[in-house]
Amino acid sequence: MKVKVRYFALVAEITGCSQETLELPAGATAGGALAAAAARHGRLAAPGFTPLLAVNRRHAPQEQPLSEGDEVAIFPPVSGG
Amino acid sequence: MEPGIICRMVTAPIDAAALAAEVARNSDGAVATFAGQVRDHHQGRPVDHLEYHAYPEMALEELRRIGADLAARHAVGRMALVHRTGTLAVGEISVLVAVAAPHRREALACCAAAIEEIKRRLPVWKKEFFADGGAPEWVFGPDEACAAAGAPHPPAREITRG
Repeated sequence: MKVKVRYFALVAEITGCSQETLELPAGATAGGALAAAAARHGRLAAPGFTPLLAVNRRHAPQEQPLSEGDEVAIFPPVSGG
Repeated sequence: MEPGIICRMVTAPIDAAALAAEVARNSDGAVATFAGQVRDHHQGRPVDHLEYHAYPEMALEELRRIGADLAARHAVGRMALVHRTGTLAVGEISVLVAVAAPHRREALACCAAAIEEIKRRLPVWKKEFFADGGAPEWVFGPDEACAAAGAPHPPAREITRG
């Protein structure tokens, strides 16, 4: 299935793009999308750096299942305020 | 969205007094406001300005969820939750919470809870530009968490420069 993956802040600097479409196996999770993104952009998997995930504009755990067409976001720990 | 909850992601300067006036009704005896502003230093280094980046669609939805959660837990009237993005100079307001309520305790408690939730949940990131000429750095996690850890996440810093 295809999902749209969006990157923000430091994660966007690492990937060099703000979004891309990834092809994932059926039954993939948000964590699977992160692993697929890290396979393309190795520094996402650097030790000690744990990106956060959102699915369809809500914070999501790694194990959250994905569906075709979902919008997955990968970003650093938030630092607003 | 509940009509009494004003949620905005903005790029223009935030007018705290106008928002406080916007939430207050004649039945409210209290308006509590919190303004977060750009500090001129961070971990001993002089800060020149900040860049705030957001996941804008999610940030607006998250502000609305935070507002709805708070309204369900606190006996308050209207509230405003506003965050600014873009380039902000020292002293400029980055985030504003205004909560009106019949009585002060609920207004203050709700205001305090709101800024904690915003810092914990809102998909916004700040990048610090220093006055000492050093390379800009992303801030990770709430200031309090970084200060408690005594360091600005060294691994992430290495990633930035790697």
